[in-house]
Amino acid sequence: MILVGELSLWVAILMAAWTTTVSWAGGYQRRSDLVFSGERAMYATFAFTTVASIGLWYAIFTHDFSLKFVSSYSSRNLPSVYLFSSFWAGQAGSMLFWTLILAGYGALAVFFNRHRLRAMMPWVTGTMGLVTLFFLLTTAFGANPFERLDWVPADGRGMNPQLQNPGMAIHPPMLYFGYVATAVPFAFAIGALITRQLDGEWLAAVRRWSLLSWFFLTIGIVLGMWWAYVELGWSGYWAWDAVENSSLLPWLSGTAFLHSIMIQEKRGMLKKWNVTLVVLTFLLSILGTFITRSGVIESVHAFARSNVGPWFLWFLIISTILTAVLVSTRLKDMEAKAELESMVSREAAFLYNNLVLVGIAFTTLWGTLFPILSEWVQGEKITVGPPFFNSVNTPLGLLLLALTGIGPLIAWRRASSANLKRQFLAPSIVGVLAVVVLLALGMRHFYALVFYGLAAFVATTITMEFVKGIGARRRMYQENLATAGVRLVVRNRRRYGGYVVHFGVVVMFAAFAGSYFKKDYAEVDLKTGDTFTATDPWGDTWTFTSEGMNSFETLNRRVTAISLVATYNGKPMGRMLAEKRQHFDSNKAETFEPSTEVAIMEMARQDVYVFFSGLRDADTAVLTFNFNPLVIWVWIGGFIMAFGGVIVMWPQAERRERGYVAELSPQHDGALVGAGV
Amino acid sequence: MTRRAFFVRTAVLAPVVLAAPALLRAQNSSTVNMNGDFYIPVRPAPKPNATAQLDDDAIQALERTLACPCPCTLDVYTCRTTDVLCTNSPAIHRDVVRMVEGGYTGDEIVSQLMDVYGQRILALPRKEGFNLVGWFFPFVAIGTGGLAIAYLLRTWRNNAVAAAALATTSGVRSIGVQATDEEMERLNAALRDDSR
Repeated sequence: MILVGELSLWVAILMAAWTTTVSWAGGYQRRSDLVFSGERAMYATFAFTTVASIGLWYAIFTHDFSLKFVSSYSSRNLPSVYLFSSFWAGQAGSMLFWTLILAGYGALAVFFNRHRLRAMMPWVTGTMGLVTLFFLLTTAFGANPFERLDWVPADGRGMNPQLQNPGMAIHPPMLYFGYVATAVPFAFAIGALITRQLDGEWLAAVRRWSLLSWFFLTIGIVLGMWWAYVELGWSGYWAWDAVENSSLLPWLSGTAFLHSIMIQEKRGMLKKWNVTLVVLTFLLSILGTFITRSGVIESVHAFARSNVGPWFLWFLIISTILTAVLVSTRLKDMEAKAELESMVSREAAFLYNNLVLVGIAFTTLWGTLFPILSEWVQGEKITVGPPFFNSVNTPLGLLLLALTGIGPLIAWRRASSANLKRQFLAPSIVGVLAVVVLLALGMRHFYALVFYGLAAFVATTITMEFVKGIGARRRMYQENLATAGVRLVVRNRRRYGGYVVHFGVVVMFAAFAGSYFKKDYAEVDLKTGDTFTATDPWGDTWTFTSEGMNSFETLNRRVTAISLVATYNGKPMGRMLAEKRQHFDSNKAETFEPSTEVAIMEMARQDVYVFFSGLRDADTAVLTFNFNPLVIWVWIGGFIMAFGGVIVMWPQAERRERGYVAELSPQHDGALVGAGV
Repeated sequence: MTRRAFFVRTAVLAPVVLAAPALLRAQNSSTVNMNGDFYIPVRPAPKPNATAQLDDDAIQALERTLACPCPCTLDVYTCRTTDVLCTNSPAIHRDVVRMVEGGYTGDEIVSQLMDVYGQRILALPRKEGFNLVGWFFPFVAIGTGGLAIAYLLRTWRNNAVAAAALATTSGVRSIGVQATDEEMERLNAALRDDSR
């Protein structure tokens, strides 16, 4: 099976090369036989990549340590779930996994458009084939998971303990699904540029795939934050690390595109900008991959580093040049008669939104790459740490939050002063009231006050939209509250799903602002029976009493755990268990440095975060205690955003839309009259 | 090639061509090792009759401005209080405390550390020399983007005004649409209402 997998990788390379060659030849010569052959070859590429992947999984599960990858990232005593996820725990496997997703997306894109966009599809298929070919070649020649060792070790090294976490089993695939999905809109953009069909159906296809990418990136980023928080032990979830930034960049440009595409749909404007954003999002994904895998910038994500960096850099350079040349030859085709009645309109709001999103992306990219630029110019490496990103991106984030509330309420074309007053009076009053209340409660941090004022403003605008919509349905159809609410969302998923996403953004920003609260840290030595008393940022009293330590072996690790009994203002809150772990292989040989599992008590107001630093002596544990305000709302906000994304993406909405468009077509005058238009 | 196409290509390609050598060189010279020892002792002689100039809070604040030299991307204070596996930040902390006890001020301590580690010991680059480019270029870029949008919006509005003037003089509202003022107003109101 392993040999079949290895051979399949090479056959997949041939298939991908065939896909590109015949698809483009078919598109150029308008020969349907070649086009069909290319489409079949895309399916075959996916099939052979799948077989190659099954081969690697088979090697992992059968502990074939003759493969360098298997012996480096798995071991006999690794739990099954982590055996499965060890596929992407190292460079070579993750490259194959990436390629598998890419080939799968390519096959899906071909399948869903087998009866549509026929002039464009050969170029789309060819481009997907080419990108897949690049990844297959990089896997085969730069990081081959089927590379064999000269000798067969008795056991593997095992997986990095920090990756042995449920979040880490899901987080990388989610990010890969998001990163890779940017390739499909890119392929459609190339197809649309070559065939000069930059309107209509390609927009719908690109939007769907961009949403999918956005959805997976959102989940991947939030899961990554959660993993960092529970696993790295520094009591934070975002450090503006180069690899974290790399995942944020395509998310930002993709979000900008999902907003600006609405202007093209409604008004036929911004064609050049939209194509640029689609291309930029893909190139930022490749740039992120280069940063993650090359080690070009220092990062905590050392486990992802290898020698495939130059492959990605050259791919990035060549893609950028070719795409820029193609775009520049199609500028005339993207000319649009652009008219705007007023500076205060939704079109303008979307442009401001795009400026801020792309501005944050640029700032993040600039800060990430500036150490390299500085070393090149000054000959001295500098550090651009979190304070830089926070100081530049915080004002931009505030602006974005404000636009999240303002944009959706402004009318297209022109907003009258009466419209503005009707829409914004109540939210503004609520926002100001929130600031006044917080001031009265003693909050003095400027940014925190602005964050919460704006959060209240935006939450009110969203609530008003739902209240108005539900009220209208109840009056019109005599529905009860729940039915009206559900139907309001179901009948207009794109609009109300978008509001749900915005609400998730509000919740998340409110949680981020929790970092402005006073955070206390204490390092304490506790013997069995000792009690530590602390006051949290809200002024409440906590006690933590040590019940003692316990050492035991389980699965693939030796665990030393300390149990603490916590009370909150005298009320029992239960036990907290913090662990120190030493992983070993099946021969009990230690495999990695000791790792830790923090104890976290999650509450709406704050997390109590206890870190087991080490042992002072046999009976004395060294513990650090942190109170982290509002952290749970980061995860809740992320969940709400993803849920909103599902509502927007739900395919039935598209079918309804098509049906609605059909109703509006001239052949359906009766339906038009029936609909009261 | 049109002039516009030339400018678009130049604008896109120039940064790529300029950045490529730096990225390639950085890629080739990368020697990052998470488990490596990045600590270099900084132990200047104590001042005569030294008394400590900084209390614990001031030391904490100072350490928040220092970058841990390992690739964790955290500041020295956060790293030493949370990452038990890092040996660099506790060692730097010990040096800082020793210099405080030796009578050094915050600025002097930073200066001593910079003499040994260079600028990379600062979590935030100083606003001087080439670093100014790093600090202000994002604002310049975003400002330029803002101006471009303002120009774009003005152009679009002028287009709308010109189209309206043409429609008025020709007596036609727009291509294929002939309607009275009242009908146009009703249509516009319906469109606005529908799009909200």
